[in-house]
Amino acid sequence: MGENFLEIRGLDKFFGPTHANRGIDLTVKRGEIHGLIGENGSGKSTLLSQIAGLYRRDGGEMFVDGEPYDPHSPIDANRRRISMVMQELGVVGNLPAGVNVYLGRTGQFSKFGIINMRKMRREAAGQFEKWGLDAPPLGQMTDGMMIESRKMIELARALSVDPELLLLDEVTQSLSLNNRNKLYELIRRFKDMGRSVLVITHDIDEMVEITDTITVLRDGQVIGTVDSRKTTPDEIRMMMVGRELSGDYYRADNAPSYEDEVVLEVSGVSVPGELEDVSFELHRGEILGFCGLSDSGIHAVGKAVYGLSKRSAGDVYLKANDAHIVNPTQAMQSNMGYVPKDRDNEALMIHASIRDNFCLPSLTELKGAAGFLNPKKLGKLAGEMRDKLSVKCTGIFQPMDALSGGNKQKVNLGRWLAKDLKLLILDCPTRGVDVGVKAYIYSLMNEAKRQGIATILISDELTEVLGMADRLMVMKDGKVTKTIDRGPDFTEQSVIGVMI
Amino acid sequence: MATTEQNTKRRPWLFPVVFVLVLAAVLLLFNIISKGLFLEWTNLKVIISHLIYPCFIAWGFCFLFACGYTDMSIGGVVVLGSFASCIFGNWYGLSGVVLGGLITGMLLIFINFLIFTYTKIPSWIAGISLAMIYEAIAVFLKLGKTTKPLVSTALATEYRTLGQLPWSLVFLAVGLVVIYFLYNRTTIGLNIRSLGGNRDVAEKLGINVSKTLLAVGLITGVLIGIACFLQQSYAGQTTVKTGLTSINLIFQPLAIYLLAQIIQKRINIIICVPICSFILYAVFNILTVLGVPSGTLQEAFLGAFIIIFGVIGQRKAKGVVK
Repeated sequence: MGENFLEIRGLDKFFGPTHANRGIDLTVKRGEIHGLIGENGSGKSTLLSQIAGLYRRDGGEMFVDGEPYDPHSPIDANRRRISMVMQELGVVGNLPAGVNVYLGRTGQFSKFGIINMRKMRREAAGQFEKWGLDAPPLGQMTDGMMIESRKMIELARALSVDPELLLLDEVTQSLSLNNRNKLYELIRRFKDMGRSVLVITHDIDEMVEITDTITVLRDGQVIGTVDSRKTTPDEIRMMMVGRELSGDYYRADNAPSYEDEVVLEVSGVSVPGELEDVSFELHRGEILGFCGLSDSGIHAVGKAVYGLSKRSAGDVYLKANDAHIVNPTQAMQSNMGYVPKDRDNEALMIHASIRDNFCLPSLTELKGAAGFLNPKKLGKLAGEMRDKLSVKCTGIFQPMDALSGGNKQKVNLGRWLAKDLKLLILDCPTRGVDVGVKAYIYSLMNEAKRQGIATILISDELTEVLGMADRLMVMKDGKVTKTIDRGPDFTEQSVIGVMI
Repeated sequence: MATTEQNTKRRPWLFPVVFVLVLAAVLLLFNIISKGLFLEWTNLKVIISHLIYPCFIAWGFCFLFACGYTDMSIGGVVVLGSFASCIFGNWYGLSGVVLGGLITGMLLIFINFLIFTYTKIPSWIAGISLAMIYEAIAVFLKLGKTTKPLVSTALATEYRTLGQLPWSLVFLAVGLVVIYFLYNRTTIGLNIRSLGGNRDVAEKLGINVSKTLLAVGLITGVLIGIACFLQQSYAGQTTVKTGLTSINLIFQPLAIYLLAQIIQKRINIIICVPICSFILYAVFNILTVLGVPSGTLQEAFLGAFIIIFGVIGQRKAKGVVK
């Protein structure tokens, strides 16, 4: 066995006229944690997909352990002990979690054609235990599970092939702090075992911390490969975008700044199994952050305030409009906006056009006197928003599913900013977007703040809420355990102490 | 924090137990209303004999719908398959009954799948066109022309054994066991369900979509083929008619499938099918015993029954975290 596990030489991949990967050269050594970073659309996921057997390459060569490697399918890749956790959710909702771990390979549990389900569940549970991950109920359908649980099932599935090379595409973005730490531990264990990990993340600090080597991609090409210990996040950012990024994209001030006017009063809200007696006030121009571990209930806060979940107690009162919010229709009519965490499944009409997605929340305003929609007005709004947000697309009639993650998120967020909002709820707004789009989203949040829009910012990324919020509510087991104002105590150490 | 993941784990046996108790209470109520007629063995025999072939069609739907196809031509396939079962049965005896229905059913469903898969026409549109063709072929075969729309043909009494008790019950029992294992405990069953759940993910995990769809076609074909000869053996005749009347044949199996789908969160759908068939035909039976006219009010009852069932069955478990 040589030092290099995977070698890629001159790899090319085309999607129609788009040259997604251009002559990629990459080497992953045994026991190396190798990071791939680049802006949205730089070709990182395409590269990983070719290594994992999801796409066939159009040119170049790949070698595993010095032997030619040309996977026709993920099963082929698994046979060479390479597996991948994809960026988008990849579980089958109508099958139990245990089956999802071995889906496509269930034949190994079959005798005379009949699968031993108990054995399969036991083996699946063993995978979670072996790698120190929390197992969801393995006999339960994955449909009703949280994104995080589904991601952990995908991780267990990738680990179940006992990989020599694990490919992780934006996995940490779906995980809360505790599971993120477990993943880091797993990555370290892989290194100790002499195995390799090729990881994509948009969190540059995380990338520098967990990897040994970082390869930067831009426009489908390798810009350079650097030693993680000898580089800085700023150097990486510059390599990614091709120019120096000025300033810090988080807020620079160190004190809360909002008006006295209370926009929203949430009092004693309880949602069975999710929230218990949650109360807070939100002011005009305030960004109120929510953070906590998985199952802490932070994501349930957004749903409860927007009227998406059935409350057993409590009241959500939008003082600005004198409305008691009980359902999403009423919330929308009361100038509230909600950007959910699961953008593809809960927010966007993924097969509809950019125009329709931009216009959907504003249909009441766009409606003519007779109640009909004027295509010109729709086109005008969508065109203006596309230009304002610099959405990279071929036109407003392009389907949403053709856009990159960052551009999808621009539409997802931007369509609310086209309205005259009083309150905006953002649940993980920068999930799966690159540093450039991230900075842009923060600037949009700051602009909304200046306009007096009150914002609820829910995030799994502690640095994000610390960087943007005026006040921070730390949650645990569905309850608010502490509220911290922006100031000297606004540090990761003080918050983590309360979270755990 | 407790989530659904933990909540639903607590008492999985509760719903089936309550369900059986409620069902028993309802049947007793039916018996009281009908002054003891309902639970008489002769009456139960009628109900059981009647529900067997729709069960096989409903099981066929389980596989068909699991992979995302809506085939409106199933009624036409049953008409043509039953017709073939009758013709070949009268010529070759019991083997003719079985093979006539089975081969015709399999062949036609296979053709349907080829058309759905390769033409990319939405299955419900292609299905309606195919239903018209199958109905026309059945009429044409009988009369040699399509000018006389309504014809009947009858299977000789001595070849109707398979549709009568106890043989039909044997078919149901064997069918239930085989289909249960096929759907829930085989690789092909799980692959078929994964296609219905998320075709992209299934494909990315290395599941061969074309091969799986072919397997769905084959399994559905066998089930519909069995339904064809059981229908012919039970009824002894097939009404051959044009004008998409064959779609009527799938309404009751469809109602069974819908009922089964509603309670499948708590009881496996393959087991639900015969239970729901029994419930459905028991309701029709009691309505008939009570003198409610069939074709109008009975259908209204059926519609209302499905809605009520749906409302009860679809109630969300508390604490669902999506």
